[in-house]
Amino acid sequence: MATDAEPDVRARNPDVRARTAGAHVRAHIDRHFLAFVSWPGLIVMLAVTAVPFVITIGMGFTNYNLVQPAWRFIGFANFVALWHDPQTPRIVFNTLYIVIGLTVLSTALGLLLAVLMRTAFPGIGIIRSLYTLPIMTAGIVVAITWRAMFNNQAGWVNYFLGLLHLPQPLWLGDPHLAIPVVIIASLWTAVPFQAILLFAGLLTVPRELQQAAEVDGAGPVRVFWHVTLVHIRPVLFIVVVLRLIDGFRLFEQIQVLTTGGPGIASTPFSLQIYNTGLLYQQLGYAAAMGIVLVLLVALTVGITFLVLPRRI
Amino acid sequence: MRMRRRRHGILAARILLLLIGLVLIGIPFLWILLTAFKYPVDADASPPVFISPLTLSNFRALFQDNYAQSLLNSVIITALATGFTLIVGIPAGYAFARGKFRGRGFFGSFLLFSRMVPPVIYIIPLFLFFHFLNLIGSFTGLTLAYLTGLLPFTVWMSASYFQGVPVELEEAARVDGASRLRVFFRIALPLALPGVVSVGLLIGMAAWGEYFIPLILGGFGTEPATVGIVDFIGVDGSSWGPMAAGALCLIVPVFVATLIAQRSLLEGLTSGALKG
Repeated sequence: MATDAEPDVRARNPDVRARTAGAHVRAHIDRHFLAFVSWPGLIVMLAVTAVPFVITIGMGFTNYNLVQPAWRFIGFANFVALWHDPQTPRIVFNTLYIVIGLTVLSTALGLLLAVLMRTAFPGIGIIRSLYTLPIMTAGIVVAITWRAMFNNQAGWVNYFLGLLHLPQPLWLGDPHLAIPVVIIASLWTAVPFQAILLFAGLLTVPRELQQAAEVDGAGPVRVFWHVTLVHIRPVLFIVVVLRLIDGFRLFEQIQVLTTGGPGIASTPFSLQIYNTGLLYQQLGYAAAMGIVLVLLVALTVGITFLVLPRRI
Repeated sequence: MRMRRRRHGILAARILLLLIGLVLIGIPFLWILLTAFKYPVDADASPPVFISPLTLSNFRALFQDNYAQSLLNSVIITALATGFTLIVGIPAGYAFARGKFRGRGFFGSFLLFSRMVPPVIYIIPLFLFFHFLNLIGSFTGLTLAYLTGLLPFTVWMSASYFQGVPVELEEAARVDGASRLRVFFRIALPLALPGVVSVGLLIGMAAWGEYFIPLILGGFGTEPATVGIVDFIGVDGSSWGPMAAGALCLIVPVFVATLIAQRSLLEGLTSGALKG
C-alpha cells in the first residue's frame, strides 16, 4: 500500500512516487489513525453527555421553566428552596432506602446463588442460563408484571398468602410496604445479575488455596469466609458499585409499579426530578435536584470506596 | 459412609435451593404467559384463576390499538441506536485500547464518570435542545438520546476486547506495508469479533427495553412498545390481559436472542462489568 506514512516502508514501495493528493490525505489519516477514529466517538459522546451535564448544572441556578420563557440566574435560591421543601427529607430517605436495601439484599442473595451455581450436576448449565432471563427482561415488563402480582384483588402474591393463612396486606396502598414492593420487584432482576458476575468471580479462586485451608483444618464456612470471600473482593466491590449506581437510576419499577405513592411514600429523586421537570415543567428546580442527586451518587460511591476492601 | 451420605445430603439441598430459586424467577414469567391467553373475565378474576380457556383476543385488542406500530417503532429505534453506537463506538474503543493519542486520559475518566450519572441529568437538557430543534418525537432525536447510555458502555467494552488482540500481529502487518485502516479491518476487528457481537447484543437489548428516554423524548408515531404498553394500564388498573400479551411480545424476541447467543451474552455481561 502506498498510503503508509513511515519512510522506511515508503522507500520500499515504488507506487509512492506516483502519489496523488488523495494518497496524501490517506497518508495523513494513517499517521493520525487512532485520533481520527476516536474523535467522532468522543465528540458525539461529549455532545450527548458532557454538554447536557454542564447545562443541567447551569440550569440549576436559574428559574427556568417551560411556562414563562423569560428566565434569569437566581443563585442558590433553588437549593435553598429544596432545603426547605417539606418533601425533601422523604425523597432523600426513599432514595437511600431503595438504593441501600436493593444493594445489600441483591448482593447477599446473589452471593448465595453464585455459590449454588457452582454445584456440579447434570443440567446445571441450563439452570444457569434460565437464571439469566430476568436480567434480559425490559424494566417496564418487570414493573407491569409485579404490579399485577401485588394487585389487591387479582394478584398472585396475596392469593398465595391467603392459602398459607397469612395476612394479605394492601401492598401498593400501604406507605410502609410500597418501597419493599419496589425492592422485591427489582431483586427479581438484580439477584441473578449479581449472581452471574459473582459466579464468574468465584471461578477465579484457585482450588489449591481452598484445599490448603481445608487441610489446615478449616471448616467450609471458614474457608468461604477467609479464603473465597477475600479472593473475590475486587469482583464484590465492582458488583456493589454497579448496583448502587443502578439503584439511583431505578425509574419504571417505581413510576409504573407504585407511581411513587401512596402520596410520595415511594418517590425517590429519579421520579421526583421527572415529575418536577417534565410534568410540572419547573426545569430549573428539577436541575437543582439533579445536581443534588449527582452529589448523592458521588458521596455514596465515595463512601463505598473508603469502606469496602477491594484488594485481595 | 456417614461422610458420603452427608455429602449427598448437601448436594440434594443445593439442588433443591436452586430449583426453589428457579420457581421464584419463573412465577412472573408464568403469569405473563398464562394471562396473555386468558379471556378478560379470567385475567382480571379475583381470586385469580390459573387454568382457564385460551384465547387470542388480547393480542387482537393490542393490535387494534396500534401496538403493532409501537413494536415496529421499537425495532426501528433499536436498529438505529445499536447500529449508530457500534459504528461510532467500536473504532473509538479500538483507539482507546491502542492508546497513545491526545485526550486519552480525559476520555477514560469521562467514560467512568458518565456511567455514574443518572440519565435524567442528560435528558432534561436534551429535552430542551430537541424542543428547539424540533426533534421531539423524531427517530433522530431518540437515537441521539439513546447514545448517552449506550456509547460509553460500547467504547469501554470494545476497548477491553481489542486489548485482547496481540499488538504483535498488527505490527507484523504494518511492517508488511498494510495501512492502519487495513490492519483495523483485516486483523483487529475480525479477532475481536466475538466480543463485538456480544457488545452489540447487550446494547441491542438495552435499547429494546429502554423506557425512560422515549417516555420523555418520544412522540406520536415514534413511541416504542415499552411506552405503548403502559397505555393499557386502565384507570382502574384492570386490563391485565392485553398488558400481559404486550409484555409477551416484548420478551419473546429477547429470550430467543438470549437462548441462541447465551454464551456470547454471558461472556459480555461478565467481562463488561469485571474488566470495566
